[in-house]
Amino acid sequence: MKTAYLASLVLIVLTAYVIRLVTILPFFHPQTDTQRDTEDEVSVLRIQKPSKKPLKVFIFLGSGGHTGEMIRLLENYKDLLLNGSIIYLGYSDEASKQRFVDFIKNFTRCKVQYYEFMKAREVKANLVQSVKTIIGTLMQSFIHVIKIRFAMCGSPHLFLLNGPGTCCIISFWLKFIELVVLFVDSSHIVYVESLARINTPSLTGKVLYWLVDEFIVQWQELRDNCLPRSKWFGILV
Amino acid sequence: MCIIEKKTIFVTCGATIPFPKLVSCVLSNGFCQELIQYGFVRLIVQFGRNYGSEFENTVQEYGGQKEDKMIPIERLGCDHSARQYTLMDGKLEVIGFDFSTKMQSTIRDYSDLVVSHAGTGSILDSLRLNKPLIICVNDSLMDNHQQQIADKFVELGYVWSCVPTETGLIAGLRASQTEKLKSFPVSHNTSFERLLTELIYS
Repeated sequence: MKTAYLASLVLIVLTAYVIRLVTILPFFHPQTDTQRDTEDEVSVLRIQKPSKKPLKVFIFLGSGGHTGEMIRLLENYKDLLLNGSIIYLGYSDEASKQRFVDFIKNFTRCKVQYYEFMKAREVKANLVQSVKTIIGTLMQSFIHVIKIRFAMCGSPHLFLLNGPGTCCIISFWLKFIELVVLFVDSSHIVYVESLARINTPSLTGKVLYWLVDEFIVQWQELRDNCLPRSKWFGILV
Repeated sequence: MCIIEKKTIFVTCGATIPFPKLVSCVLSNGFCQELIQYGFVRLIVQFGRNYGSEFENTVQEYGGQKEDKMIPIERLGCDHSARQYTLMDGKLEVIGFDFSTKMQSTIRDYSDLVVSHAGTGSILDSLRLNKPLIICVNDSLMDNHQQQIADKFVELGYVWSCVPTETGLIAGLRASQTEKLKSFPVSHNTSFERLLTELIYS
């Protein structure tokens, strides 16, 4: 008898997690219609409820090209993203951080918190060292992601990513937290694929296509040929 | 705002990987002759890190004379290693530096025409500032994305492209002085902004 109860309990829990997994992964999201005309521009303003809580945005800066595109994105959507919001900046490259520091000076109303992420791979490392650094990176990023994720609960928030590889680890942990903590709200992860990708997605893009909430490409060919669920709005950077 | 007092061509090779073929082509006699013919009197070259001595050698190979004039390093965003030379019997002024921290203002304030390697960052820097741009693909790189991105931008009519040879560059220069480019669309997209807003406040 006891085992029957136990088994059914396990089954119920398992079912709950499977349902949770289905709801947090992007495949069964209702598709928002992106083809609507821009005529209802006012709707942008209408949705933007005057929330008392500031917007919280996480961005990740990895290296030269990605950092350049991310800063252009922030600049283009500064009214939405840099209007007195709290920025959680993840970085793995000191030069990128410096570029961001120079850029954000002009937005004095934003508060910024910096989180350094270790690089997933070191060149010329042997197997044991590689395994060590990978485990180290995973644990360190997990701690950062937990802190950032729970700081965002209850506030309007966004995770804006555009590469490099560390973004896969970050997204994985975010979805892991969503899966385990059953009642946490969606992470709102948006991934923007690099402008340099016209015909094939990057490796990071290939992985994140299965994880992130909105996958944005900058060339129509890429959406039509490889990534049908992705969205294309033209060149954004 | 604009402080171009001399008709200037700006050449950028990217920050990290040197592009010897492009440097050597833009300094070649044939190309410089063509530049002077079109009224250019200044050539600024951003040649990339750790390429300073090779740059100097190449300039001297083409008969360049070192000048000891003040270079506006503050405005160009470069450091004291920047050098100035003259080419073509003093008709063309050449400024060379490894790297600029103020790429956008250098392009905005000092460039009538830009020649760039095919990195997306450099391409966007010029196009967003509405400067006519010739892209030169570094064919010795293993990365074929640069070729794809160059082909795509040419197809859309936003840039001219050329191969890193003297005749290739001259052809590109001639096109830039006779043809018009399509204007590059603005990057702000209302639908994307709406998508972000809906997601953030959902």
